[in-house]
Amino acid sequence: MEYIQISIDGILYGSSYSLIALGFSLVFGVMRRINLAYGSSLLLGVAIALWVENKLNTSIIFFIPIVLFFCSLSNLYVERFCFAPHNTKAGVVVSMISSFAIWMQLDEISSQLLPDRTHSFPSLEISTFEFGGLFFRGDQILNIFIAFIISAVLFMAVYKTKYGIVLRAVSNSADTAKLMGCNTNLVNSLTFILAGILGGIAAFLVLSTESQVTPLFGFWCTVKGLVAMMIGGLGSLTGAFWGGLLLGLLEAHFSYQFGPVFREITTFSILLIVLIIRPGGLMGVNIYKDLKSRDERI
Amino acid sequence: MADKKILEVEGLETSYDMIKALKGVSISALSGKLTCILGPNGAGKSTLLFTLAGILNSDQGKVIFDGEDITNQKTSDLVEKGLALVPENRLIFPHLTVKENLLAGAYSRLAKEREKVEQDISAIYARFPVLKERSSQLGGTMSGGEQQMLAVARALMSKPKLLLMDEPSVGLAPMIVNEIFSIIKQLNAEGISIVLVEQNASKALEIGDYFYLLDQGKQIFGGSREAILKENIIKKAYLGESAG
Repeated sequence: MEYIQISIDGILYGSSYSLIALGFSLVFGVMRRINLAYGSSLLLGVAIALWVENKLNTSIIFFIPIVLFFCSLSNLYVERFCFAPHNTKAGVVVSMISSFAIWMQLDEISSQLLPDRTHSFPSLEISTFEFGGLFFRGDQILNIFIAFIISAVLFMAVYKTKYGIVLRAVSNSADTAKLMGCNTNLVNSLTFILAGILGGIAAFLVLSTESQVTPLFGFWCTVKGLVAMMIGGLGSLTGAFWGGLLLGLLEAHFSYQFGPVFREITTFSILLIVLIIRPGGLMGVNIYKDLKSRDERI
Repeated sequence: MADKKILEVEGLETSYDMIKALKGVSISALSGKLTCILGPNGAGKSTLLFTLAGILNSDQGKVIFDGEDITNQKTSDLVEKGLALVPENRLIFPHLTVKENLLAGAYSRLAKEREKVEQDISAIYARFPVLKERSSQLGGTMSGGEQQMLAVARALMSKPKLLLMDEPSVGLAPMIVNEIFSIIKQLNAEGISIVLVEQNASKALEIGDYFYLLDQGKQIFGGSREAILKENIIKKAYLGESAG
């Protein structure tokens, strides 16, 4: 019983990882770029939203769109200054390094906006319920449900709609897509805005289950989201969802067995093992076996 | 009508950073005709097509397409005006299915005329039955010749008035090259104006109407097939002894 409860807690906690990983996957899938500033851009969006909310004193209904708006705005900022200037093949490393620079910059701005380190965050106040002797956190059930819906909707949008075809064409070859008359610049910006909206939803849900935000939230997002995506499969939307849950599950069991300090050790050990056994991620392509699909994107 | 110029290029100069690749090229293409641009490696043929398609910007000169000055306009605008480029090495989208490749080719009208696009895809399938067979196969898994067909079909999806083709024979077996060239000839016979850049000069001589020779960024000859066959020096220097 105890193990079932831990598994449930772990999977439910992992839904936060899934939510963040989806945004990473979207950007990586379309642009083939790792955005190290993703977590920080969400933190900045949240910090600005809290600052605005402090001035306006709005209810939670208005607070959510404010969070989404500023998260997509800060993502657009990252795209314009860090990825748009380096959109050639040679720019892969440069853009990653400049995303690191922007990460530091955004984190610094955010901690100025949240001067008291730990800041309270509006909670959805969904109560925990009991079912068959097991406890479920209501807000985390909502998280897992929304993560599932988002990954399903994104999957459908990318594979079944005409916008999805354009997105995948750009991801296959931006230069060729340009030849078809496609404005790749616009597609990239829209991808970041979409990732910002997704991340805003994720950030809101995660922070409201914690009821607080600290300046470390950005770092946490980047690390956990990136690891969950790598475990699930590079650029795979369904992989991001399952990767997050798996990471949460394993973390919960290891930290129960060996103590909470083992949580982070577990995270990175799993990442290392996955990278050694299956470098493309569990649900991604095996990038060594299948050289042709090495460039596989969403 | 027969002599209407669909494309007129005057003194076009294009450079890559410090290196001037086009040093004043003036060519024109007649409506409904097949114009070939020949020349050795590094002559500036692909640069010329890239400049015409709006991928590179020119430093000097003028490009007039269908009576309108289109010098240095954006590729997306040019596609809408009816200029399509079939790039060298095909460059199809390898992880999109054949049908999705065709849909991507109709990018500029995907949102507005979805039904019309579907009809056009059916027409493409009728012309290239092999693409219909493979419609749900990933583009990257097809053979070189099939990919070239797909690249041509994808360009046709934008309903071009002028088709720019960059080295369609590159990397293909001679038999497949024949097939591709007969498709080009067929498209031209149906009224699509074509500008073809080709290294395989003897092949181009079989189907072209007008010819230009480029060398080191300059155009050194322009004229009909009869004229080019008469010019012995040109033949020796650029087409090889066996040509003609």
